[in-house]
Amino acid sequence: MIVAERLSWVLKLRRGHKLNMEVFFQQFSNGLAIGGIYALIALGYTMVYGVLRLINFAHGDLFTSGAFLGYTFLVSLALGQSAGTVGAILLVVLLVMGVAAFLGYVLERCAYRPLRRSNRLNAVVSAIGASIVIQNSIMLIYGPQVLVFPAGMKPNVIVEIFGLNFPLMRFFLFGASVMLMLGLYFFINRTRLGTAIRAVAIDQDASRLMGIDVSQIISLMFMIGAALGGAAGVMVGVYYGQITFTMGWIYGLKAFTAAIMGGIGNIPGAMLGGMLLGMVESMAAAYISAGWKDAITFLVLIVILICRPTGLLGERVAEKI
Amino acid sequence: MKKIAAMIMLALLAWAGPGGAQEIKIGLMCPLTGDWAQEGRDMQRFLEMQVEDLNAAGGIKGIPVRLIVADDGGNPRSANLAAQRLVESQVAAVVGTYGSAVTEASQGIYDEAKVVQIANGSTAIRLTEKHFTGFFRTCTRDDFQGRAVARAVTRLGFRKVALVHDNSSYAKGLAVEVEPLLQAAGVEIVYYDALTPGERDYSTIITKMKTLSPEAVVFTGYYPEAGMILRQMQEMGWKVPIIGGDATNNLTIVEIAGREAAAGYYFISPPGPQDLSGEEAKAFMAEYEAKYGQMPGSIFAVLAGDAFKALVKAITEAGSDYEAISSYLHNDLKNFDGFTGPIAFDAKGDRVGDLFRLYRIDGEGKFVLQP
Amino acid sequence: MIKALPPALVAFLLLLPPLVCSNYWLDVLNAIGVSAILAFSLNLIVGQAGMFHMGHAAFCAVGAYTTAIMNTALGTPVLWTMPLAGMAAGFFALLVARPIIHLRGDYLLLVTIGIVEIVRIALTQDIFGLTGGANGIAGIDRPYIFGFRIYKPSHFYWLIWGMAGVTIVLFSYLERSRFGRALNYIREDNLAADGIGINSAAYKLGAFVLGAFWAGMVGTILVSKMTFVSPAFFTFWESVVLFVIVILGGAGNLKGVLLGAFLVTGLPEAFRDFEGMRMFCYGAAVILLMIFRPGGLLPSRPGDYNVAEFMKKLAGPAPNPRSGEDKRP
Repeated sequence: MIVAERLSWVLKLRRGHKLNMEVFFQQFSNGLAIGGIYALIALGYTMVYGVLRLINFAHGDLFTSGAFLGYTFLVSLALGQSAGTVGAILLVVLLVMGVAAFLGYVLERCAYRPLRRSNRLNAVVSAIGASIVIQNSIMLIYGPQVLVFPAGMKPNVIVEIFGLNFPLMRFFLFGASVMLMLGLYFFINRTRLGTAIRAVAIDQDASRLMGIDVSQIISLMFMIGAALGGAAGVMVGVYYGQITFTMGWIYGLKAFTAAIMGGIGNIPGAMLGGMLLGMVESMAAAYISAGWKDAITFLVLIVILICRPTGLLGERVAEKI
Repeated sequence: MKKIAAMIMLALLAWAGPGGAQEIKIGLMCPLTGDWAQEGRDMQRFLEMQVEDLNAAGGIKGIPVRLIVADDGGNPRSANLAAQRLVESQVAAVVGTYGSAVTEASQGIYDEAKVVQIANGSTAIRLTEKHFTGFFRTCTRDDFQGRAVARAVTRLGFRKVALVHDNSSYAKGLAVEVEPLLQAAGVEIVYYDALTPGERDYSTIITKMKTLSPEAVVFTGYYPEAGMILRQMQEMGWKVPIIGGDATNNLTIVEIAGREAAAGYYFISPPGPQDLSGEEAKAFMAEYEAKYGQMPGSIFAVLAGDAFKALVKAITEAGSDYEAISSYLHNDLKNFDGFTGPIAFDAKGDRVGDLFRLYRIDGEGKFVLQP
Repeated sequence: MIKALPPALVAFLLLLPPLVCSNYWLDVLNAIGVSAILAFSLNLIVGQAGMFHMGHAAFCAVGAYTTAIMNTALGTPVLWTMPLAGMAAGFFALLVARPIIHLRGDYLLLVTIGIVEIVRIALTQDIFGLTGGANGIAGIDRPYIFGFRIYKPSHFYWLIWGMAGVTIVLFSYLERSRFGRALNYIREDNLAADGIGINSAAYKLGAFVLGAFWAGMVGTILVSKMTFVSPAFFTFWESVVLFVIVILGGAGNLKGVLLGAFLVTGLPEAFRDFEGMRMFCYGAAVILLMIFRPGGLLPSRPGDYNVAEFMKKLAGPAPNPRSGEDKRP
């Protein structure tokens, strides 16, 4: 009798334990999904920073404009009607990346290039101004209301793995983020243009002497950064379905955090930082408190920076201002 | 340089001189920029249409009404200036605003300047506990709504719920009211926490709640987050009813969540823009929809409309000075036919009567009034 | 005599508004004044010491809540809490800045943003049950000076601009002092400053604490003006605005910062008639100003030290040049 009771108690514990592991994996995957998006946006930050040493506060708003452009393309151009939704989304992502790259180019030309020779903080203020301008332009063009991507845009398939439910889109999203990141990584490290970019990042004047058109490289970096931001915007729009003109602010801040966490200016650092940030957020919300989540995340960030003052993968270099 | 700045300032001062003579000015303080810009825009549209209609019908006793709009940016410090600006424009009374902290920052100014203010979206309890004679509101207080939510939960028979807010003063205020009421009614609260508004991914919180297996989720925040929760709950294959407050009374919620996921969502609210009962209200809403291509996003624009209507009534009956308007609104306005039902104010300036109804979203995405 | 004229004129012009301005413009000036004082204190950290600090609202919040809690719970008169609010903010700054002071540029920037967010979340979550959560604390008294109740915009005008005046005088002395010069060395070259024997970590920390102390005192004025306080006052955005004021005005230059406060706080008011377009114009103005004045409106210049005079002083006590004027009949 007693033995049976004991046994059932142990079994209960076991079952509870198994359940907890299941929940843990579920939360882990939630964290990865969020982290993938942060990483993608953080890439844009890091790229621009790597070359210009400029914190592009408008990056979050380029992300928003990507989401809204994606909405326009999908809804107005009736691309969603064509049968292959995945194909349509891919096409839209490419279109948006193009337009966002153009926006990034214009932004760099108008707001940052005149300030390239001045103090870095002045360019930061110009970026804040640009952020206000973009955000309010979106509000004036699309109106302040929440826009919703047309239903049925995304395949609502739910995949079951080891008894856990995952929306199929999450895999697409994550896969797309990783693909873009890897592509970028190889572009920077394996191509001629990438070499030029790295050269400019290290020393602009020396690169100029070596025959690299520094202005062009900087424009290019802005375009790539903006395109990545725009792509992230469309993906978030399609995946989560709702977009507002103020959404870039919070994502921008998170991505900035991710970039810093990994060591700003460092591409693998942005990926790692993004994933880690998503994970910390998810675990904090799951096991400590959802309301304190962001505070906990920032605390973790501060602790990381106290231990490693240039982020997880950042190089220890003296800064010249 | 400071000189120049001061001169610019003086020039601006001269430029912001007095307006026309024979008209009654009514101020509207609303968030036209910032996070709540949608609410502000709808409020402005709603009142502009009302003013147009009113002036077409001859204004108040033949005197045209002019609406003066001031953007409060959804932020208390900016609201302080918006309020001073309206006072300076010599408005007879003010409608607005949305957020409680924003309204609170303006209350003192209107009180000192003796301008009647009717807020339309500020539900924090203490706003009407300050005994400002000229402060009214057409929305109800957190505690009234808290009672309505608790009543709905017990009536629907849930014994074990998760309570989620979003740390905004509105959502948290409501959650704080709901919590003890539910506990008193013997409902177990297995989860009580806040999500971060503006994020898109709430799967972590949903996973967490799922492990605690509540019978229902009470969410006191706004509709974009409610929509996301509905949608992601469905994606995670977890279906329990959600009960929300009046900030989720917005047709967009069905679009955000998707029709299938939204089905079965309950909320407590005054009658929404789409199902106002009076003939006049219906006609007005149709006119609004024809003009702007959509209904107002939420109930708060309609409540601003109610505030305006009550003001016009008071000015027509009692004249446009502070004492007359406030005493009329306090004592003589009874059962006045507003958009959202009869309007009357009590001694504190709170709206009298129980506006709250329980709604449920059906499979078609329609808001159905529950008996 | 001629040099003293512009400040006198400015002082005179500053006396005018309460006589001629309406309450709205007075309150705009008050808002500008509050921003200006906060920006002066931020300037010490960003402009003088060259640290990237975008979290100044956090210190203001600590001061504001100190006043709010002391006034509502203990009934302490508002102005009495002012030094305490400053001290609380200063102490908080000491606590949080100590471990992060060695971070370089952008890393420090994000950490300070993180501090604002942590403070705001803690206030919203009603930490220790003291802060009243998202609704904040209401019912804060008006300040009294010798029994005179300060409640009208014009009263606050005197209080705020009086404090601004004191701030300008004190901070311009500070700028010239040993402390201020040491901060400037650190800004120009941290390594070299260390090399000539400046304990840069201590000085930076000093700048942080002093800046926070001042911001905390502004917190007192802010809550006494609003008579309530809520976390909505101290968002990240408020910190960004202060940062923009300092940089746009010309980091390290007090006159520039004052001008920056006029523009950054005043422009949204000037653009009021554009309604929804208001913030768009504001953002565009910020970019344009920055492009056309890339060093800030009034860029900070290296201090001019009269070397010849200094050498003379070193050489021995010079005859008092004023002695001729002192002759009295």
